[in-house]
Amino acid sequence: MTVVNDKGPKMTSREEFRFLSDLVLTRSSADHTIVRLRDHHAGTTRFANNQVIQNVDARRGSLAVTVAFGGQQGTASTTDFTAGAIQETLARAERIATVSPIDPEYLPPPDPCVFPIRDTAKPETMAAGPSRRLEYASEAIGQCRMENLTGAGLVSSSTTAVGIAADNGLFGYERRAGASFSLTVQAGDATGWSAAAHRSIDHLKIQERTLAAISQAKRSRDVCELPAGRYPVILEPAAVAGLWAWLIRSLDAKSYLKGTSAFAEKLGRAIVDARITLQNSPDHMDLFGEGFSGDGLPSTPSRWIDHGILKQLVYDRFTAKSQGVATIPTLEAPILSVEGSAAHSIQDLIKSAPRAILVTNFWYIRPVNPRELMLTGMTRDGTFLIENGEIVSAVKNFRFHESPLRVFQHIDHWTVPMEAVNSETGKVLAPAMALPHFQFSSPTRF
Amino acid sequence: MSSPTWDEFAELALKRITASGAEYGDIRIQDSSTEHIEGEDHRIASIRDAKDIGFGVRVLYHGAWGFAASSVLSLEEVPRVADLAVEIAKGSASIALEKVRLAEEPIHRDRVVTPYRINPFTVPLEKKSDLLLSTMEAMHRQTGIVRSSASLWARRDTKVFVSTEGSRIEWDLLTGQGECTATALHEGRFASRSFSTPHLRKGYELIEEADLLREGSRVATQAIEKVKAPVVDAGAYDLVLDPEHLSLTIHESCGHPSELDRALGYEANYAGTSFLTPEKLGNFRYGSQHVNLVADNTEQETLAATGYDDDGVVCQQWDIIRHGIFVGYCTNREVAPKIRESRSRGSNRADGWGSIPIVRIANIGLEPGAATVDQLIADVKRGIYIEGHGSYSIDQRRYNFQFGGDAFWLIENGRRVHMLRDVIYHGITPEFWNSCDGVADQSARRRYGFITCGKGQPGQSGWMTHAASPARFRKIQVIRGEGSS
Repeated sequence: MTVVNDKGPKMTSREEFRFLSDLVLTRSSADHTIVRLRDHHAGTTRFANNQVIQNVDARRGSLAVTVAFGGQQGTASTTDFTAGAIQETLARAERIATVSPIDPEYLPPPDPCVFPIRDTAKPETMAAGPSRRLEYASEAIGQCRMENLTGAGLVSSSTTAVGIAADNGLFGYERRAGASFSLTVQAGDATGWSAAAHRSIDHLKIQERTLAAISQAKRSRDVCELPAGRYPVILEPAAVAGLWAWLIRSLDAKSYLKGTSAFAEKLGRAIVDARITLQNSPDHMDLFGEGFSGDGLPSTPSRWIDHGILKQLVYDRFTAKSQGVATIPTLEAPILSVEGSAAHSIQDLIKSAPRAILVTNFWYIRPVNPRELMLTGMTRDGTFLIENGEIVSAVKNFRFHESPLRVFQHIDHWTVPMEAVNSETGKVLAPAMALPHFQFSSPTRF
Repeated sequence: MSSPTWDEFAELALKRITASGAEYGDIRIQDSSTEHIEGEDHRIASIRDAKDIGFGVRVLYHGAWGFAASSVLSLEEVPRVADLAVEIAKGSASIALEKVRLAEEPIHRDRVVTPYRINPFTVPLEKKSDLLLSTMEAMHRQTGIVRSSASLWARRDTKVFVSTEGSRIEWDLLTGQGECTATALHEGRFASRSFSTPHLRKGYELIEEADLLREGSRVATQAIEKVKAPVVDAGAYDLVLDPEHLSLTIHESCGHPSELDRALGYEANYAGTSFLTPEKLGNFRYGSQHVNLVADNTEQETLAATGYDDDGVVCQQWDIIRHGIFVGYCTNREVAPKIRESRSRGSNRADGWGSIPIVRIANIGLEPGAATVDQLIADVKRGIYIEGHGSYSIDQRRYNFQFGGDAFWLIENGRRVHMLRDVIYHGITPEFWNSCDGVADQSARRRYGFITCGKGQPGQSGWMTHAASPARFRKIQVIRGEGSS
């Protein structure tokens, strides 16, 4: 195999960001000025039909300047970090602000604070380049070829320098690394899937994930069609995470206060099974915790749903202030857990099921009715019929129409939180869950 | 010393590629400006002006691709990135089973410019903010409206593409769009109704011609009517779908399945594959005789009509579905030879300098029929007229779909009688298109653009336009979008 030079571009350092932000802050004539940095370097090796189809590496640095004169504000950004371009960006932001109407919701930058220091920049991920990604892709492809199956997937790694600075002394800088792997194995019409994401590229578990996807694809070969209807289900963690992602997206505080939210008048009340807790755990080593948010606020551990009771909403700074919310919580590192005696594995959940549909993952989940948070979507890459504690057959994929607010009212059985990654939700820790009822509205052709 | 020109940067990159022994390479340098003004509930929530400049280098070495890109356009960075693209391509080649062979394309040297009357970037911001504030005000004037939003968006892309084959194409493209949404609250229930101009390659005249203020009042009135409307009864209905609604149906159920890279498995891990597999080309009955879906990347003002794609291939017009039969794919230079086509259809696009081009849906539109809209409705005993976009979802092979809409009217005995709410219809793609028994004429044809079509890993946003006249579909399964679980 060709050895590819893994030396990447030089990313914007803390000192360089300090220099660039000072360049703006010292020249700004505005009442308030905020500078935001996002310098992102990422590479992806993508494969399909057991060979590499895309192999890319890109670096994009971007600097955004927000200025305000009273309540008039404007934002301009650039990818050109030369002094002239940055000054021109400041001038554009100032020009916008001076002609903007006063925003009654404008707030000055948050007060400076000491942000938590987190282990977000794993050196092994930052050092990983095309050759490491190709090595991992080759490993997955090789396994698929040996089994005479077809693999499609990706290996990616990235480093991002993120910074925020304001004229009141607010300053934050953090390097964030991340790596991911996903694989779809095709066995004729059948598919199996597995995915991983981690701050450390060493934790992607390529072989384990590949073998899991291969095994699932093989198991999916003999498929039967079941009629639409209400079934008991076992949702694997990725499927659970897919439904919860939409629940979390619907927690906007402003919609809540205007009455245009599924959660209207439910803050402080039970919304799901009393054993369920959803928390932000930014210090968890398997999650993507960050030191600070895009608004320049510290990320701290917080409880969003506590024993089934809704405790938090997603606040913008103005709404938080108007509601007397002192600390705005973040939710970049979610853990969903169920209190009580957990099954050891998904296999144990299967063994305890007299009859159920096992769902590996959902696809294309979209809201149907925001009032009830009714969602639709498809099962994907491994849907099975369980009878008497055993998988007896793969089944053709179903469309569902369900609300997480209904299906998570009662959970029969569950595992401990496990890694859940899917392309539409990012990474969370979530348990697999056995639920008594789930509405599948129509089958598809495969 | 003056900074090098884009052509000098391009020459620098292509020399490195040629010297490496690669059989093909190209560079795209792009400078994009985007202005986005967003209003929310009586206020201008943000005005953002983004400049994004950078370049991407693509290399084909021994039949395998490498791509590298950077936002640092300098004499040091261009050769580093070109060398990196070569090295990556060599890595890909080391495990390649089947070598990429590009379909032939003549060398082109050209410049493509969007014609426009009013440059949106020179229209005063105060004027644009005032328009949005007035629009929101007009919506809130109606009792029952609790939330509003309005926005204007404009983008200018200047770009050059230079290849080792000798093509050099330069673009100066302009795109714009405006929209507004009103949300009504009634007895604890809420419903929204939106108006959107199409995304088109036009100047600010697009916004002036649209009359956002008038449309804002209209959708606010309809939002109130919608929230008070009766919920639909589930069952089989005849549907008459308006052009905006159909644009999404066409996009999801015809556009994506006709992307050849999907059909060949390239997107199996993410966006999915396609039920329109190559052996069906030329013989599969996709729809009824009334269904003619034509890809046209040459129609003025549409998003994919850029003269050339990012392979440097000329934009074309071709059939996807003719008299109901599946007859054509969207292709690029890489995949066209895999179905023995000698030339790419010119559908290879990247969403910016930092992305590698991939096969994208063309401007696929439904060819007009002969009926008037009134005639389509007149022949419906029990049906629903649907406007605009709502909830949508489709499986990864594009068989089982579900669509909502933005506004619904019950049709009884050939007349639209009143609005309905929470209408969802679902079906299987070829069954649905085979139930089409009428398409309205050219006078009712409208165009709608998409700029957030997600595909690829890393994800890219594709741009294309779908045109249609209203069309009628018989006996489609409708379910209630509330309480049906």
